[in-house]
Amino acid sequence: MNFQDIIFNLQKYWSDNGCIIKQPMDLEKGAGTFNPDTFLRCLGPEPWNVAYVEPSRRPTDGRYGENPFRTQFFYQFQVLLKPSPDDAIELYLGSLKSLGINLKLHDIRFVEDDWQSPTIGAAGLGWEIWVDGMEITQFTYFQQMGGLALKPVSAEITYGLERIAMYLQDKDNFWDLKWSDDITYGELHLESEKQWSVYNFEVASVSMLLDLFKKYEDEFERVIDRGLIFVGCEYVLKCSHIFNLLDAREAISVAERTSYIARVRNLAKKLCSLYLKKREELGYPLLKKE
Amino acid sequence: MKKNLLFEIGTEELPPSCIREGVSGLKKILEDKLTENRLEFEDIQAYCSPRRLVTVVRGLGELQKSKIKTVTGPRLKVAFDKEGNPTRAAEGFAKSLNMKVSDLEEIEIEGRGLYLGKRIIEKGGKAVDILPDILKGTILNLTFSKQMTWADYDIKFARPIRWILALYDDEIIKFSIANLNSGNVTFGHRTLHPEPIAIKDAGSYFKLLQDKGKVIADDVKRKELILNQIGKLEEKEWKGNYRVVLDENLLNDVVNLVEIPNTIVGNFPGEFLYIPKELLVEAIQHHQKYFAVLDKSGNVSTKFLIVQNGIRDNDEIKKGNEKVLKARLSDAAFFYEEDRKHDFNYWTNKLKGVIFFSNLGSMYDKALRLKKVSAYIAGLSGCSGLYEKDDVSSYLAAASMLCKCDLVTNMVVEFPALQGVVGRQYAREKGEKSEVSKAIFEHYFPRFAADILPSTDVGLILSIADKIDTITGMFLAGKMPSGSEDPFALRRKASGIVLSILKGKYDFDLTDLISYNQNLYQKSFDFKGINDLKISAEIKDFIIARYRFLLEKKGKRLDILESILGSGCCSILDIDLRYKTMEEFIGSEDIKKISFPMIRCKNIIDKKEFEEVDEELFKEEYEKRLFSSVNKKEKAIKDLMCKKNYASVLAELYEFGEIVDLFFDKVLVMDKDKKVRSNRVNLIKKAVDLYLMLADFSRLAVESGSNI
Repeated sequence: MNFQDIIFNLQKYWSDNGCIIKQPMDLEKGAGTFNPDTFLRCLGPEPWNVAYVEPSRRPTDGRYGENPFRTQFFYQFQVLLKPSPDDAIELYLGSLKSLGINLKLHDIRFVEDDWQSPTIGAAGLGWEIWVDGMEITQFTYFQQMGGLALKPVSAEITYGLERIAMYLQDKDNFWDLKWSDDITYGELHLESEKQWSVYNFEVASVSMLLDLFKKYEDEFERVIDRGLIFVGCEYVLKCSHIFNLLDAREAISVAERTSYIARVRNLAKKLCSLYLKKREELGYPLLKKE
Repeated sequence: MKKNLLFEIGTEELPPSCIREGVSGLKKILEDKLTENRLEFEDIQAYCSPRRLVTVVRGLGELQKSKIKTVTGPRLKVAFDKEGNPTRAAEGFAKSLNMKVSDLEEIEIEGRGLYLGKRIIEKGGKAVDILPDILKGTILNLTFSKQMTWADYDIKFARPIRWILALYDDEIIKFSIANLNSGNVTFGHRTLHPEPIAIKDAGSYFKLLQDKGKVIADDVKRKELILNQIGKLEEKEWKGNYRVVLDENLLNDVVNLVEIPNTIVGNFPGEFLYIPKELLVEAIQHHQKYFAVLDKSGNVSTKFLIVQNGIRDNDEIKKGNEKVLKARLSDAAFFYEEDRKHDFNYWTNKLKGVIFFSNLGSMYDKALRLKKVSAYIAGLSGCSGLYEKDDVSSYLAAASMLCKCDLVTNMVVEFPALQGVVGRQYAREKGEKSEVSKAIFEHYFPRFAADILPSTDVGLILSIADKIDTITGMFLAGKMPSGSEDPFALRRKASGIVLSILKGKYDFDLTDLISYNQNLYQKSFDFKGINDLKISAEIKDFIIARYRFLLEKKGKRLDILESILGSGCCSILDIDLRYKTMEEFIGSEDIKKISFPMIRCKNIIDKKEFEEVDEELFKEEYEKRLFSSVNKKEKAIKDLMCKKNYASVLAELYEFGEIVDLFFDKVLVMDKDKKVRSNRVNLIKKAVDLYLMLADFSRLAVESGSNI
């Protein structure tokens, strides 16, 4: 199954199982979780079932394209089910079947992975899911976002698309994956992976990044004062990404690291409680649909 | 009649640590609840697998044990009149019980007298009626260190509960919790038999679950099975040429990561074998939970074991795992290569950016302190001139600056369990002396209870310095352990200090070391409102408490320790020597010959300020004798104390006791002349001080029946 077919397949499967299919957000972020369709929508009582592809960036994971499956850029397929259905795991296993994985012939394992994202005050309990030893998915029951306890709890399913493709196509690395019949993942991404690794680790201007962090942080406060929650959300994401870049440049000492994380978390907390308040003011529109 | 109760909580995949917590919690809570409810049973056992916590109560009675309830009415005096006829109070009480007064009896309430009352035997209820509440309560009371909620239910558990099976022989114990009703249905292996399995009778559960469901619900059996599979490989397939590295923690985790174990062998490319052994083994074990395999000469081989969850005949499983391990090893190799580009200067510098603890500076600051503290310990006179040995002091200086460096290496960031191991490896590679690299590894010892201790002076002293520095820092930061809370494992560290001191035979005053260490902190950081002396005394007591704990564990007499502490002795080694000597003395001699005279002396002392003894004021022969004896003994005992010849000190005090006794027999301390009397008390104080050089013998427990 080609890389793009995996995406088509998952979109169809989750659409058949009650999710709306959204498109990625046009902003750098470390994971599909940061997309407001998860980050904000997991808050409050409104039901929400969504699936989307999310191109993700983690500057420190860059390996100049030399590691078979660690890269600073990759694709996630994100599913959020709120409230978490009782058959969440069975639904997930169904999606693997839809990708042609014979569950009886392979070793599917649920290995404890308690997930935390201190920058957005998020925490959850769940697993990484292995197929024959290969981690292909993160499955998390969200417990907290922006420091707020969640009720109802959402189930977040995050597929590592490259890893699934490696598994399905029996390839040893990302670069040889077939994106379509005619073109490989490497042809599309290897050169940019090398260039971004150089940039993230060696070139990115630390002074510019430090300056931007401050400016984005200030801008957040300005827009949030005007009640522009979705705009504010983007500035939180920008701060988070800038912080990741500074981290890759080793520009932040461990001592400062804690305080930078706390700064982003404070923005996230503020954002989340304002979002909740706003939804309440609007009378939880999605709740009424039921 | 007795029946068996089967109770299974079916869950989504529980982490191994939660399974351990859950299985012991489940057994304890259910056992307590059954006992509380007077339900008798023969045996209770708990079992587990990743998707279930199970208890089986065998021989559980169908009825609660009956209970005698005592009801009391009016006092006996009020219940009957002078003629012995029942009063209205008695009649009323009897009526309230639907009885006649003649059915009632006298009941004595302790301390209050006789009452009219009745012992009523309450017949026990049926187990089936009480069990629903007991089982439901058991789930609700079962807690985990990490818990979660799911959907919009109000219940908390380690992972979502998906089914509940509760059978009393063949009868379902019905109750509901969250969205679930208990029943007689379980589920087999997640993918090999996902369909429900109805259990007709509690006794058929394990067999049916294994035969049909492909699940072994008994963790002990799964462990045996894995060990058998490994044993077969080693003996039959490998003919003794290869050996599996059986890490106990890893094995226990793997047992609880599978519902039915199936061990297969994989291979990885030989190109990774250049990675040092311990680093390679950890890279194999850490993420993927594989077992490493050594060849005959003890080197890591390219074989590794995968324990898969379920029996399937599919070569792709092996291939998939091989691919994953190859990528993991190439990651480890990447980290190792990256690390090799750097040196200890680079890492030392990086330590400046690593917080030791908030408000206690960086790991670099800690390394600087370790250098000073370890030099200080080595320089103490009781450390048998270690500092004069040039090598020891230079090794210590080097090791203390290097021992924390591996914390900032890529390898330790990726594999935290390798702290110390990586440091030792890199120190070797960078050409550090073997004493230094060894100490870098060993300064973490003991890492857990009953772990080994450092093997050299350099390692021992660095280990003591590191631990005392952490304890001192944490006490200054107000993070001392309280009750069962000890998040920084300070108690274990303090035990480590005690054991290392005893092993190295270092004789020094703890308070000196603590004050020195505390000073280093206070020069660099501000601790508002800290009472220096109080903190250092607390730290000293905290460490001595670990010595006390060691004695206690061995079932030793703690009063001997208390008496020694009464002397003010603050050196662990010295305390230990005194302890052993006194223990031996008590085994062969009558310690009362020492302790009783001392107690007699102590009882007399009724003031706090003392003057020199004035010989002019002596009136009696025996006080002169005591005085001359005190003087002689003082000189002798001081001399013996210096030589730490405590057996002879005890012999001297034993002899001295007779003189003291004679004094008290012949001399009345309370003379009418105040001056004479005060002079005698001064003399007795000198006698007490003589004893106190070794111990406060008055704190020794004496056998009952003895009179003083």
